[in-house]
Amino acid sequence: MKKIFKVIYRELGLVRHNRTFSALALGLPILAIVYFLLLFKTGVPTNLPIAVVDLDNSSLSKQFTRMIDAVPSVSIASMPKSTEEAEEMIRKGEIDAMLIIPREAEKDIYGNKPVTVPVFISGLNITKNGLIQRDLSTAIISFSTGIQVQTLVSQGMSEAQAYQAAMPINFERHILFNPYSSYSYYLLPIFFPMMMLIFILLTAVFTFGSEFKNGTAKEWLETAGGNIYYAFAGKLFPYLISFTILFVVADIVLFKYIGIPLRGNRTLILIANVLFVMAYQSLGVLIVVISAGSLRRSLSVGGGYSVFAFTLSGYTFPLMAMNPLLQVLSYIFPMTYYMRIFVDQAVRGAPAFDTADQLVYFMIFILLPLLLLPRLRKMCTDNKYWGRM
Amino acid sequence: MEKKSGIQRLKEFVTIFKTELRYIFSDGGVILIMFGAVIIYSTVYSFAYSNEVLQDVPVAIVNNDRTQESRDFIRKLNATPNINVTYEVSSLDEAKSLFLSRKVYGIIILPDDFAKDIYSGKTTYVAIYADGSYLLMYKQVLNDLTNTVLTNNVQIKVQRLMQQGISMEQAFVVSNPVSPNIQSTFNPYLGYGSFAMPAILVLIIQQTLLIGIGMIGGTWREKKLYCKLIPERRKYLSALPILLGKSAAYYVSGAATMLYVFGFQYKLFHFPMNGDVLDLIMFMTPYLLSVIFLGLAISSVLKRRENSIILILFTSIPLLMLSGISVPKEAMPEWLYQFGKIIPSSNAINGFIRIQSAGATLKEVSPEYAMLWILTGIYFLLAALGMRSLARKVYD
Repeated sequence: MKKIFKVIYRELGLVRHNRTFSALALGLPILAIVYFLLLFKTGVPTNLPIAVVDLDNSSLSKQFTRMIDAVPSVSIASMPKSTEEAEEMIRKGEIDAMLIIPREAEKDIYGNKPVTVPVFISGLNITKNGLIQRDLSTAIISFSTGIQVQTLVSQGMSEAQAYQAAMPINFERHILFNPYSSYSYYLLPIFFPMMMLIFILLTAVFTFGSEFKNGTAKEWLETAGGNIYYAFAGKLFPYLISFTILFVVADIVLFKYIGIPLRGNRTLILIANVLFVMAYQSLGVLIVVISAGSLRRSLSVGGGYSVFAFTLSGYTFPLMAMNPLLQVLSYIFPMTYYMRIFVDQAVRGAPAFDTADQLVYFMIFILLPLLLLPRLRKMCTDNKYWGRM
Repeated sequence: MEKKSGIQRLKEFVTIFKTELRYIFSDGGVILIMFGAVIIYSTVYSFAYSNEVLQDVPVAIVNNDRTQESRDFIRKLNATPNINVTYEVSSLDEAKSLFLSRKVYGIIILPDDFAKDIYSGKTTYVAIYADGSYLLMYKQVLNDLTNTVLTNNVQIKVQRLMQQGISMEQAFVVSNPVSPNIQSTFNPYLGYGSFAMPAILVLIIQQTLLIGIGMIGGTWREKKLYCKLIPERRKYLSALPILLGKSAAYYVSGAATMLYVFGFQYKLFHFPMNGDVLDLIMFMTPYLLSVIFLGLAISSVLKRRENSIILILFTSIPLLMLSGISVPKEAMPEWLYQFGKIIPSSNAINGFIRIQSAGATLKEVSPEYAMLWILTGIYFLLAALGMRSLARKVYD
C-alpha cells in the first residue's frame, strides 16, 4: 500500500512540473464543459429565416402570410417578388426555405378549386429542415382545416361539429423523454463524455508514454518496488479521482442546469462514470504497449481511436441504419455502452436490470488490457524502449 | 547585417521547400495523420452514413379497437417507408416494456371507439409515444404517422361526401382545399451522409493539416533544424523564405488530399456535387492558405511535437459544432457563432456546402470567401512574426 502512495506522490510531482498534464486532466475538460454550456444555452432554434413569395396578393393570402409568420420556429425574413429571387437567397444562405402562394389562390379556394402550396426547404441542414417541415405543414393543414370549417359553418353546421367533420382522425403527440425535442437535450449528453474520453485516454497515453520518452520508466517501476500493478494503480489513481469529479460536475450541470431528466438510478450513473474512466485508462495501457512505448505513435493511435466513438456509438445516427460491419465495430468503444446506460438510466428511467449487462461490457474493457501489464513491466526494464520519440 | 539578394532568398525558399517535403514524407507519424487519417476517417464516416436514411423503425401498436377500420389504418401505417409495425400488443404497459428493452422505438395507440367515432362524425384521437431520446427515430415515426393520418382523413371525408352524392373530384377539393407540397432541395431524401459528410470532410482537411504542420514544426525545434539550415556565411534565415517554403510544401500536400477527398471519395459515396469546379478551386484556395498559415503560426508557439496532436484533436468536435451545421446557428448564441469565424473551417464549411451541394456561385458565397482571404492575411502576418522570432531565437 505504501508503495502505491509513493507512486501517487511521484505522479503528483510530475503533474506539478508538466503543464501538459494539468491542462489535460483539469484545465481543458473544464473549458470543454463551459464551452458546451455556452453553445447550447439557446436550445431550440426559433425564427429560422424563410421567404414567402406571394403571387396572389389577396386579403386571404395576406391572412395566410400572417399565420405563417406566427409559427414560432420560422420568421418571414423576406417577401421577394419572384421565386428566382428566393432561390438565390437560399443559395446565399440567407433563408432556409421558401413558400409560394400561387396566383389566384383566393379565387380558387372560394371557387372550390384545389390549391397546392409549394414549399421548398433547403436540405443542407436536416435538423432545421425537419423543424421547418413539421411546422409549415402543420400551419398549412390547419389553414386548410380552417377553410373547411368555414365552408361547413356556412352550410349551417355548428363550429364544433364542423371541426370534427374536418378532422376525422387527429393525434395527440407524446414525446417520451425529450419534451421540447430540443437539440441541447439531445446532444449535450454525448458531448460531455466524448470530450472526457479524449482527455482520459490521452492523459493515460501521455503519462505512460512520457516515462518511456524521458527514459524514466525504470525509476517509476522502482518507486513501486518493482511491482507493475502498484506502479499502474498509483499512476492512474490521481487521474481517476480528478476525472470522476469532473464527470460528476458535468452530470450536475446536465441534470440541474440544463434540465436533462434523471428518472432512473443515479448510483448506476455514477458507477458508469467511474467504469467509463477506468475503461479508457486501461485502453491507454493497451495503446502504449502496442505502440511499443513510442509516445508519438501511441498519441496518434489513441487520438485516432477516440474520435470514432462519437459516430460509432450510434447515438446521433442509429446503428440499425449502419453497415453491419460498422455495427460490429461499435462494440469496441466503451462509449457505446455508456450512452446506452445514460439513456436508460437518466432519460428513460428503465429498470436497473435492463442496464446491468452494459456494466459487464465495461469490465471487459477494464480487465483485458491488464493482461498486458507484465509486458509493460518488461518494457520498463528494457532500455531499448526508452528515449523513443 | 548584410542585405540579401533576391536570388539568395529564392535559393533559401527552394531549400526550405525541399527539406519540408522530405520531412513530411519521411516521417511515419506525419504521413499517418496527413494522409492515413484523411483516408481512414473519410472512408469510415462515409460508410457509417452510407445508408443515408433511417428506415423501418420498429414500433408497437396497441389496438383497442379491433375493427376493419383500425386494421386498415395499421396496414397503411406499415406501408410507409420509415415505420415498421413489429408488435401488436394489448396494453400500454406491455408496449412500454418492449420499448425499454429497445425492441421498439415508438408506441401508437388506437382508441376503443376508433371506427365508431369516425362513422358518427366525431374526431377520434390516435395517441403516439415517440422516442425523444433518439431524435432521428422520433422524427421518422412522427413524420410517417402524421402523413398516414392526413391522407386517411382526406379519404374518410371524400367517402362521406360521396355518400351525400357529391362527385369524387368535388369531394376531394372540399375535403382538402389547400394542401402543402413540400420538397427538400439539394438533399431530396434528407440523407444524413449528404448532410454531415461535407462538413466533416472539410474539417478533417483542416485538422489533419494543422496536426501535421505542428508535428513537423515540433521536430524542427526538437532537432534544432533551424540552425543546420542556415546557409553558409549567413547569420540567420530570413523569415519570409522559411514561411513561403514551408507553406508551398503544405500547399502541395493539402491540395493532393483535397483532390482525393473531393474528387475520389465524393464520387465513390455519391455525395452531392453540384458546384462549378473552378468556383470550388477558387474558394478552397484561401481556405488551404489560411489553414497552413494558422498551422505555422501555432507551430511557432508549440514547444513539443506531441502538443499539436492534443491541441488539435480535442478541438475537432467543438469546431464542427461551431460551424453551425450539426447545431443550427440559430440554436447557439450569436456572438459565439460570429466569434467562430476566426477559424477557417467555420467559413469554409458554410461556403463549400452551398457551392457543392446547393450549386451556389462564388459570388453567392462572397461573405465567406472574403472572410477566408482576410484570415489568410491575418494568419500570414502571425506566422511571419512567429517564424521571425524563431529564426532570431536560433541565431541568439
